[in-house]
Amino acid sequence: MRQFFSTILIGITLGSIYSLMALALVLVWRSTRVVNFAQAGQAIFSTYIGYEMMVRTGNFWFSLLIAIIIGSLLGAGVEYFFMRTLFKHADDGPVAALAPVIATLGLLGVIRSVVGMIWGNEYRSFASPVSTDNFVVAGATIPFSRLNVLVIVGAALVMIAFSIIFQRTNLGLALRASAFQPEIARLAGIRVGPIRTIGWTFAGGAGAVAGVLVTPNDILSPNSLDTLLVFGFVAAVIGGLESLPGAVVGGMVLGIGIAFILNYVSTTLIFPAVFVVLLLSLVIKPNGIFGSKKVRNA
Amino acid sequence: MHNLSTKKVFALFVIFGWILLIVADRVDELRVYQGATIAITTLAIASIIILTGYSGQVSLGHGAFLAIGAYAAALSQTYWQSPFWFTLLMSVIVTSLIGFILGFAAGRLSGPYLAGTTLALAVGLPTLANQFTFLGGETGLVYDAGNPPARFGEDFTLYKWFFWISAFVVLIAMFLIRNLLHSRYGRTWKALRANPTAAQLCGINVAQSKILAFTISAGAAGLSGALLGMISIVAPSAFPLSLSFTLITGAVLAGVTSLAGSMLGAVILVVIPEIAEVISTSLGESEKVISNLPGFIVSVLLILTVLFSPNGPAESIRKRREHHQKAKH
Repeated sequence: MRQFFSTILIGITLGSIYSLMALALVLVWRSTRVVNFAQAGQAIFSTYIGYEMMVRTGNFWFSLLIAIIIGSLLGAGVEYFFMRTLFKHADDGPVAALAPVIATLGLLGVIRSVVGMIWGNEYRSFASPVSTDNFVVAGATIPFSRLNVLVIVGAALVMIAFSIIFQRTNLGLALRASAFQPEIARLAGIRVGPIRTIGWTFAGGAGAVAGVLVTPNDILSPNSLDTLLVFGFVAAVIGGLESLPGAVVGGMVLGIGIAFILNYVSTTLIFPAVFVVLLLSLVIKPNGIFGSKKVRNA
Repeated sequence: MHNLSTKKVFALFVIFGWILLIVADRVDELRVYQGATIAITTLAIASIIILTGYSGQVSLGHGAFLAIGAYAAALSQTYWQSPFWFTLLMSVIVTSLIGFILGFAAGRLSGPYLAGTTLALAVGLPTLANQFTFLGGETGLVYDAGNPPARFGEDFTLYKWFFWISAFVVLIAMFLIRNLLHSRYGRTWKALRANPTAAQLCGINVAQSKILAFTISAGAAGLSGALLGMISIVAPSAFPLSLSFTLITGAVLAGVTSLAGSMLGAVILVVIPEIAEVISTSLGESEKVISNLPGFIVSVLLILTVLFSPNGPAESIRKRREHHQKAKH
């Protein structure tokens, strides 16, 4: 029974991180109909910035703040300078539909090699701001530390902030309107272009938080967030790729599922299991548990 | 090569193979090895061209098919002691079967969903090697083509033997693929890519053709994977995620709709690290820059291609030529 509960706790920790990455992917998908594979690159760049700040100042919160700012700016920059140019140029021919996928892949390569050029390819460790010692409850250690609490609280704060922005503010209304029907949103006086950039900005920030929170538990290298990208994508697909609550639920489902496989089956079967989950959710419920009925061809 | 008959194309392939043999005799070991790499990469890129360029499905995980092919070949050699040609056949059969099964799922997915799914496959599949002991874990399996026959003489090196095998197999495979793309199936795929609705109205079975494209593409990728395993190793580390990305880069650089471009793409991929090395040594850059420069150049090229010549340079040149010809008339 104790193992069961500790598995759930680990699952929620993992799930928080996956949810953040899924949120980032969903925000971009809603605003531009692009699955942003460069998200892993943007997140790793922001994480390295956070790492650099951490080394220089030793203040975790300051580093996290700088990482979020840099991540958001990078997201905005990618949309403004890169995606807009892309949509202007690649609009016909057989590759037009695939151009965004390939372009974001190229961007991932560029960011990753730039990170490698600046910081090198070697593994680094990101010092944890809080204790990583496991809690002792009633004489028994459970695999849950202050760091895990920090991860869960941090992710929850981001999600609460997003839900307030999306449900309670005019900006959120504009974001939802231009995701739902860009044409009609434009007729209603919303400037869809800048709203898109804001969607990418939020996504960049969420990715940065995911990167900085996951790294103290893990190692830091130019491609250490690739698996996070895959898990985030799977979580987003489970949730329907359209819906923000879906991304969170998808992330939690995936995180808890992975924790159970880790603890009860095998550590090496995670990726194949995730792949099977992805295939099943795509074949059985292609619109996701929170997806709209209307299928949109991208 | 559009208006040539199959016989003439066959003759061209034979002549090209002959030239390759003569050239391979005149250059040093490293060049021969690079030649084998180019041949293998050509076939791998061609497999992406069948899938992406012709049937319009995008795969970010073709490295997984290369891995399956390599493991199928190595397993049949290790456990059945099969002759070499049979191991290659096995790699094609097994990957085609798996491609066929995945094709069913793929046919239901549109662009980004399929891209993400294949990405998950490429990340997940190599880890299976650590789960099952018969797959050999991190160290992988032994797979080789045997020593070159004694009648080629003493100074016939192993690398030259690798090159001969790769070039021979790839030339045959490319000839078959070329014919396939010029057949009814190739035209079906083109129609499908240009306008799925119109193709359906013409009586084309969309799902079936997409699955067929996936099957054949996987088979070709598997064969190239077996050859790659022959010249390097059959282990998870030989098939990283970056391999899949590199292949799609090669396909896009050379024009994702032109089969002839696949060789150009392969040459570019092999030459870029050399160029990067020359640049960085002449600049006297640090280790960090040197090891990341090839990836940087490849990615920048990929982005520039997608931005300014999304259908590849070959297509752009052809378009321009057609434009000129129209202007003349």
